[in-house]
Amino acid sequence: MKFAIQRDQLMESVQDVMKAISSRTAIPILTGMKLEATTEGVKLTGSDSDISIESFIPAEEDGTVHIENIEPGSIVLQAKYFPDIVRKVPDNTVEIESDHTKNVTIRSGSAEFHLNGQDAEEYPSLPQLRTENSFDMPTDLLKRLIKQTGFAVSTSETRPILTGVHVSTEEENLQFVATDSHRLASRKISLETEETLNLPSVVIPGKSLSELNKILDDTGDSVQISITDNQILFRTKHLYFLSRLLEGNYPETSRLIPNESKTTVLIDSKELLQSVDRASLLAKENRNNVVRLLTKENNQIEIHGNSPEVGNVTEEVTADTIDGEELKISFSAKYMMDALRAIDATQVKISFTGAMRPFLITPVDDASILQLILPVRTY
Amino acid sequence: MDNKNRQPRVILHIDMNSFYASVEMADYPELQGKPLAIAGNPEERKGVIVTSSYEARKYGVKTTMLVGEARKLCPSLLIRRPNFDRYREVSKQLFAILREVTELVQPVSIDEGYMDISDLADRHPPELAEELQKRIFADLKVPCSIGIAPNKFLAKMASDMKKPMGCTILRKRDIPKKLWPLPVRDMHGVGEKTAEKLKKIDVRTIGDLANRKEYELKNLLGVNGSKLHQRANGFDEREVDPEAIHSFKSIGASTTLAEDTAEETEVYRTFRELAEKVEGRMKRKEVVGQQLQIMIRYNNRKTVTRTRLLHNNTNSREIISREAVDLFEEHWTQQPIRLLGITMSELVETNEAVEQLNLFTYERVAEKEPLYKTIEELKEKYGSDVFKSSKMPLPPIRTSFQKDFLDGD
Amino acid sequence: MERWSQLKETQPLAAQMLINSYDKDRMAHAYLFYGHRGTGKREAARLLAKTLFCPYTADTEPCQECRECRRIDSGNHPDLHWIIPDGASIKKEQILELQKEFTYTGLESDRKIYVVESADLMTVNASNRLLKFLEEPGRDTTAILLTENSEAILQTIRSRCQQIAFQPLNHERMRNYLMEEGISKSNAFLLSELTNNAEEAKEMLEGDWFANARKLVIQLTEVLQSKPNEALLFVNHQWMPHFSEKDTLQRGLDVLMLWYKDILHEHLAREEAVVFIQEQEKREQAMMRWSRAQVTSCMSGIMEAKRHIHQNVHPTLVMEQLTLQLQRC
Repeated sequence: MKFAIQRDQLMESVQDVMKAISSRTAIPILTGMKLEATTEGVKLTGSDSDISIESFIPAEEDGTVHIENIEPGSIVLQAKYFPDIVRKVPDNTVEIESDHTKNVTIRSGSAEFHLNGQDAEEYPSLPQLRTENSFDMPTDLLKRLIKQTGFAVSTSETRPILTGVHVSTEEENLQFVATDSHRLASRKISLETEETLNLPSVVIPGKSLSELNKILDDTGDSVQISITDNQILFRTKHLYFLSRLLEGNYPETSRLIPNESKTTVLIDSKELLQSVDRASLLAKENRNNVVRLLTKENNQIEIHGNSPEVGNVTEEVTADTIDGEELKISFSAKYMMDALRAIDATQVKISFTGAMRPFLITPVDDASILQLILPVRTY
Repeated sequence: MDNKNRQPRVILHIDMNSFYASVEMADYPELQGKPLAIAGNPEERKGVIVTSSYEARKYGVKTTMLVGEARKLCPSLLIRRPNFDRYREVSKQLFAILREVTELVQPVSIDEGYMDISDLADRHPPELAEELQKRIFADLKVPCSIGIAPNKFLAKMASDMKKPMGCTILRKRDIPKKLWPLPVRDMHGVGEKTAEKLKKIDVRTIGDLANRKEYELKNLLGVNGSKLHQRANGFDEREVDPEAIHSFKSIGASTTLAEDTAEETEVYRTFRELAEKVEGRMKRKEVVGQQLQIMIRYNNRKTVTRTRLLHNNTNSREIISREAVDLFEEHWTQQPIRLLGITMSELVETNEAVEQLNLFTYERVAEKEPLYKTIEELKEKYGSDVFKSSKMPLPPIRTSFQKDFLDGD
Repeated sequence: MERWSQLKETQPLAAQMLINSYDKDRMAHAYLFYGHRGTGKREAARLLAKTLFCPYTADTEPCQECRECRRIDSGNHPDLHWIIPDGASIKKEQILELQKEFTYTGLESDRKIYVVESADLMTVNASNRLLKFLEEPGRDTTAILLTENSEAILQTIRSRCQQIAFQPLNHERMRNYLMEEGISKSNAFLLSELTNNAEEAKEMLEGDWFANARKLVIQLTEVLQSKPNEALLFVNHQWMPHFSEKDTLQRGLDVLMLWYKDILHEHLAREEAVVFIQEQEKREQAMMRWSRAQVTSCMSGIMEAKRHIHQNVHPTLVMEQLTLQLQRC
């Protein structure tokens, strides 16, 4: 394998791929980075086995030549040293060459580095994109879906399937659902595709999605999503992000969402958020502080918080409307704030069906996003 | 002890003045004399003020105010993040100073406590109080106010009367003049809700409350009504109980093994036994807890404690022993063990505990909702004593409490 | 031990059971391989993993050459998880990591294999976690637990595994196995008499301890023959420094015993039973020095010395006594 490449292009790709590489891995070869040169260009791969990132640098793009003198081949390089070498080489061009004994020479200007490579055959083979099981969506919309649901995944391993986001399609709708069994977040979007989608439902590890979210830029460019038997693949222009999936059946959640309401409150989202924030003041770190919500006359809502070391906080917020039965309910302030932030609407509708039953928060005129919270029982 | 026949008591209430802010000023002298607030999130406008210095209060800065609002009132306001570890440390030193005077010290919270100095006959109480105040200020560089009175309630009210660095005596005979003119909302034990209810029957000052008929207040406020009536008239029989804070802070048990062992089965058996003991003690005290601590002492006497926050409050032996074993496995060094202990802390009374409901199991609880609702309504009407269990009182038990409640973390 | 045909020679029963379940497509979800050290459990686990992953497996034999087989040897196969005790036990975190692996889909395929070495070293907590996923095995998932002490494994785990016994190797199999592993014939003969544990045999060969031990044993009898007065000196200056620990001394006495047995075999003309196969000349010389009856009494002297060592009698004292006895005979 041999090629000469623009250093900046290479560095950018190396940095992307490094995000998937961990020094703590049970599979020794994964501490390395795979380089693969074809006449089309050079592909770098990094993986911690849960997620894998591939970055492709085309030999030529829009008339600009990035890579020259390509002799196809592949090699795995120690990820511990390679990025630093690329960062510190003196010249704008880097030449990388490996011989049949897997010795790799990196030349740039007057500098020459020798590294021991490993056989690329030892590196895991990752699934390829399959067009029949794929669809496109704008990157920023995907990021929003992740933000609106990802926070609600479980962090406990007692039910591993709940540590993922359930992604399913029905007709032309795509739905993301996550629950840690104390709250549930769901977002549905309509995919503008000609043919109806027939994709398998999958559960994507929450950790993978939050990594993906970090890597994707907030742009309107489209991302192609493809589902294979054991991995999901997200593809942007030059970046492929793969994640393993969670095995097992995701619980049926649609029947858990109440469709009736005994008390309905319409309220300014920001006011409610701030008031809950104040009421949960001084909650001990990583401890869910409980606030109590009471409906009152004249569209008043009382929010009450009690912090043993400091005292009580009680305040009233004016709702736009309150319909139905009088209600006293307690819930985790954190769950409420997470939900309101995820919805990100000016006005929300909260539908309660009793003090011991889950309640639903949605934007007033939009059923595509919903947040469900289980209350706290006080004795 | 029978209170009724006792000598008149002398109780001190020590109240640290804007404690967190004072500690910050003591640690960073450049902050002294400046308007200072402690807030959860100083960078963000929506951070909330936890406490503020007297200088800041002059501008109208108040606890629970948003940082943004406070800045508007006082543009020169300095804002710092809280450092609870440091506050706990100072608090510990404070109570150590108080305990040098008498063992009868009851910490109430991080920055306030009662002392019973009735038995220090040779000391003139106001002198002793002033000495204490000076000593605290000299050693810790933080101010406090002290109330001196024949019972806890009056001492508490007295310490509030002059801040900072006040020493106020409130005798029974001072009540009509010093206590009764105060608005009823200022009375310890009267919250906003209660004050509103009292306003409806035209009770506005503590004096108004004291001079009402007890049954009238009982009708309005339940058992709390009679309690407040007694207090307003200067009666409060509560003792200064040094153990009170411990009894609600942690309950634990530990045991030295018959011989040093590295046998897992022996360890698990021991944890099960300890969990059973802890469960029994917690049930007797009618508390549940959320924080579990285990103690492992190795055969070389090296002792480690490890803590875990549980998902929900519990006093169940199964959960306690399961979590203890889990925690143990995470930290055990495989060395032979001499002693094992379990302590549950972050305790709350069973009837004040909360339980986060679960999406997949809430129906079990929700089915009983009408019943809970009825109980709550009755409690509001007749006071929470209605549902105290009618069992025979259990014999008192000794528990191996953690000795310092401030060691919680 | 790269092939089933080889495993069949050392572990016929175990090999046949595994081959049958593969051939009949009735692989169990979990296996427990139990038997002494060096009986080939680890090799069998690796062979089974190759058989299941290799796309070219024919007549149960994996090809040994393809990418799958090679990566199983190099430890880079992403869907084969191999757990080795971390220190004195298998920690909960290791099992948690494994548990996590099995809630995820495979990296390359849906077939996953996990091997837990020294499974008896799992903590009770780790065992319980393992049990949970033995109870609900994923599709195409195979667990292989290895242990020398199956009694120490929770009954609930054992009952969910197909148990495969690995028998101690007999001398002949052991010899053949060692020679297959590239150990010289003379060493293989001697080692197979000293242990039926292939791993232990290989460990003994590490460094030059064993070669020197062999040499010292023969030298001792040579000194006794040619310069009997120097025998005690030899014991103090050569023998004791080499066999300085209780167990190494026992091992040295074992080798000495084998040498005297060889001398006896020489008397009885039982060529085929000889262990020191290269030492014919020295054996013949020794036969001249010790009669059949004398050899027998030397052997009981060695037995007694071993007993004394076991009873913690001072080693130098025991050796001096033995030397005098061998000298007198």
